[in-house]
Amino acid sequence: MSWIIAWRATLEALHDRMTLSVSTVFALVVPILVVLLLVRPDAARLADPAAVGTSLAIYLLAVGLMPSSGSVGIASGLFAGEREHGNLLPLLASPASNRAIFAGKVLGAVLPALLYAGIAEVSYLAEIGLFFGVSTLQLLPLALSLAMLALVPADALLGAAVASLVSSRVRTYQSAQMISGLALYPLMAALFGLLLLARYWGPWALAGAVALVFVVDAVLIVFGAATWQREEVMARR
Amino acid sequence: MIEAEGLGRRFGDLVAVDDVSLSVPDGTILALLGPNGAGKTTIVRLLTGVLALTSGQARVAGYDVARNPAAVRARIGLVTDVPGLYEQMTAPAYLDFFGSVYGLTTAARVRRTDELLTFFDLASHRKERMVGFSKGMKQKVALARALLHEPDALFLDEPTSGLDPLGARSVRELILALKHASRSLILCTHDLDEAERLADQVAILRQGRIIARDEPGRLRALGSSETTVRIALARPCPAGLAELRALDGVMTPTVETDTSGNLATTTLTYRTVQPTEVNPPAIERLVALGARIVSVSCAAQSLEDVYAAVMTGREN
Repeated sequence: MSWIIAWRATLEALHDRMTLSVSTVFALVVPILVVLLLVRPDAARLADPAAVGTSLAIYLLAVGLMPSSGSVGIASGLFAGEREHGNLLPLLASPASNRAIFAGKVLGAVLPALLYAGIAEVSYLAEIGLFFGVSTLQLLPLALSLAMLALVPADALLGAAVASLVSSRVRTYQSAQMISGLALYPLMAALFGLLLLARYWGPWALAGAVALVFVVDAVLIVFGAATWQREEVMARR
Repeated sequence: MIEAEGLGRRFGDLVAVDDVSLSVPDGTILALLGPNGAGKTTIVRLLTGVLALTSGQARVAGYDVARNPAAVRARIGLVTDVPGLYEQMTAPAYLDFFGSVYGLTTAARVRRTDELLTFFDLASHRKERMVGFSKGMKQKVALARALLHEPDALFLDEPTSGLDPLGARSVRELILALKHASRSLILCTHDLDEAERLADQVAILRQGRIIARDEPGRLRALGSSETTVRIALARPCPAGLAELRALDGVMTPTVETDTSGNLATTTLTYRTVQPTEVNPPAIERLVALGARIVSVSCAAQSLEDVYAAVMTGREN
């Protein structure tokens, strides 16, 4: 049931012009700007290939984070927006369980964000190869790059989890998106600060820091699923 | 079958529904009437398991709403006051999605989608996204969604809202067909004429309570036994009004002349509680005065009159 709901939500997000246009900019235009405006000066400035590799890996995260953070807006729309516009009620009046609806909507927010993030990552790596040669990609440090890539779905999940929690407690899509953003950015800053520190501690610490982000995601999602009740959602006036 | 006993719902200090009891046997329609905020939508949400009860109990399609809401939801259809569609989808994709949610097989989804799109005259719009649909078309898709799984009980909140006259008529015919197919229906409406034509029972709500509930005919009789008599004349009859005033049993006689058409028409109107006693002498006197009577019509008190009386506290 959750997959049916998630698939519907994903298709809706992919057809929505606003989501499509913003995500296309993040997925295709931003990687080009990052390569031209950030990577190229770094490559010219840094003499040490390892430093260039670290810089490439951090930008790998940056280009993935922007589209993956779109899960906040999509989740706000799926929870608060649908309630606001009256199209949540038919689903709530269906036999789908509370958990199936919640999980379907969280997945439906994460999947399109991940799709656009994936396109952004591929686009970024292709442009690196195009502008600096394919051999430049070999400078990417494996552990850090994998950690950065793993953080993209972690960020998408975090955005969807926070937005789902907030959206169930506010009246409008705009409030949901605004409060979720405010709640999310300090949390993300703390987690990524920890991650940047962790890369000096070695690969295991880095893996541990990434795992910590996923644990936070899991805790928020489990809490959200446990507290999201259709009877409570419709009772909020 | 829809049954509720002592149904109640509070939102903090606000009592939205208070001690509501109702029974809608299979093959009957109950119309809920009342101003905005009277509790109609909350009652529907309580009975469909979307809102939790604060007090009372209810059974829908054989299942207890509080104990087994999922079973209730699997057997009901709901049309809300706004269509509530996923407008980026096409109508067949939307119906297929809800068919999956209701657990229909692929073959059943395809069959029901085809049947309903044809019934609602939407088959030629299969490939269009619903964002471009008119309000009436969206309402038809919402109705199709509610009927997709052939529910035992239907809750229709303003089902003809936004439909053109022909569309509204086909929906009313559908509602009657569902009633004859032994479904229980609750209809929330502001259209009193629609309620009178369709419902077996009418419940009038005010501030979360049912303040009147009966068959439409009996409700009309509850308010007043007055009949309004209208006599259309081919030409003015100046002495007619005075003659009517002099007649026992005639109340508040008035005269109106309409000059907007090609021919001026005059209408004498009065109210009476004894039309069989009062009308024959009234007409005889008018004819004796030379009045050229075109038509005589008698209208008993309408549901609208009863509703207005109940809402303003003039009911007996």
